[in-house]
Amino acid sequence: MNDLQTLEAEVATLIVETLNLEDVDPAEIEPDEPLFNTGLGLDSIDALELALAISNRYGVQIRSDDADIVRIFASLRSLAETIDRRRTQ
Amino acid sequence: MSSVAPERVRAIEAWNELDERGSPILIRAIRWIALHLGRRTSRWLLPPIAGYFLLAAPVARRSSRQYLRRLGLRGHWWQVARHIHCFACTILDRVFLLTDRMATLDIHLHGEQALDEALRDGRGCVLIGSHLGSFEVLRALAINRHGRGLKVLMQPEHNRIVTDLLHALNPTVAGSVIPLGGFDSLLRAHEALGRGEIIGMLADRNAPDGARLECDFLGAPAAFPLGPWQAAAALKAPVLLFFGLYSGANRYDIHFEWLADALEAPRRERADTVAGWVERYAERLDHWARRAPYNWFNFYPFWSDRA
Repeated sequence: MNDLQTLEAEVATLIVETLNLEDVDPAEIEPDEPLFNTGLGLDSIDALELALAISNRYGVQIRSDDADIVRIFASLRSLAETIDRRRTQ
Repeated sequence: MSSVAPERVRAIEAWNELDERGSPILIRAIRWIALHLGRRTSRWLLPPIAGYFLLAAPVARRSSRQYLRRLGLRGHWWQVARHIHCFACTILDRVFLLTDRMATLDIHLHGEQALDEALRDGRGCVLIGSHLGSFEVLRALAINRHGRGLKVLMQPEHNRIVTDLLHALNPTVAGSVIPLGGFDSLLRAHEALGRGEIIGMLADRNAPDGARLECDFLGAPAAFPLGPWQAAAALKAPVLLFFGLYSGANRYDIHFEWLADALEAPRRERADTVAGWVERYAERLDHWARRAPYNWFNFYPFWSDRA
C-alpha cells in the first residue's frame, strides 16, 4: 500500500468510529464511492462531526466557505487527498 | 421509526397548501396594512382576516378544536376564533419585528439570566423553540440584548411563501437562515457558534422521513423529531429552550429555560441524553401550552392517535 492508500484506510476507520457506523467495515468503503446522500448516505450532522474529527486528528481545517468543499467531501479518496495536501503546509 | 398515517399526511399537506395558497394574498395584505397603517389601526383589520381563516380552513378549524379539547376546553367556535385571531396577531407583529419597529411592542423577558450565562464566554448557544407563540420575537431579543447574530436552522420548504414574503422585508433576515438539507448546514452553524452567534431551531414539527420519538403531550402521545436535538448535541454548545408567548394587546412574554451544558459525549454515548432532551422539551411545551393555550400555532393533527 502506498502512503495515500494507508491514509485512505485511516480516514475510513475515522469515519466509521466517529460516526458510529456499526454495520460498516472501513475496508469496504470504496475510495470513489459518494459519501453524502447516496453511497455511504451521510448527512449534515455527519459532515460536521467528520470535519471536527479531521481537525482534531490531522490539524486540517475544513470550513463551510471552502471553495472546494463539495469536492473535498465527495469521496473517501478526495477527503484523504485533501488531508494529505493540507497537513504538509 | 414509524411511518406517518396517510390521512395525517394529507391533513398536513392541506394546511401547508392553505398556508401557501391562501397566504400570499393575505400575507401581502397584512404586510401592506402593517407598513402603511401602523399597528393600532392594523389590529382592527385582524378579526376579518382571522374570520377568513376560520371559514376557509376546515383543517385548521378542526385541529384547533381537537387541540383545545385536549386542554380541557370545549372547543366552541368562539374559542377557535380566538385561537386563530391570536395567530393572526403574531403574523402582523412579525412585520414589525422584521422591520425593526419593536418599540410598539411591550416585550418582557423571563429567565434571561440563563441566556446571559450561556453566552458569557463569548461563544454562542443553541436556542430551541416551537410553534407555541412567536419565534420572530427572538430577533428583537438577539439584536437588542447581546448584539449577537441569530442564525435560524430550518427546512427551506417550511412555510416557504410566507417566509419569503416576510423576509423580503429585511434582507439581513433572509441571510440569517441556514437551510437544512445541504451537507454543510451544520458546519455553518458550528462556525456561527464560534463567532458568538445564537443558533435557533424549532423542534415541534417532523421532517417526513426524520427520526422521531413519541412523547406525552397534553395527555396523549405525539411524535417529536429527534433531528434538532441530534444537531444540538453535535454542535457541542449550551442548549436553552425559549417560548415567545403572546399575552394579548402588544405584550410578549419570552421565557428562557436552561436545558443542558455543551455535550461532550461522543456520538455512540448520546442516544439516552438526546431522548431525555426531547422528553423534557415535550414536558415544557405542555407546561406553557396550558398557560398560554391560544398560542398554539400547529393547526394540523398533532397527535399520533385520532381522537
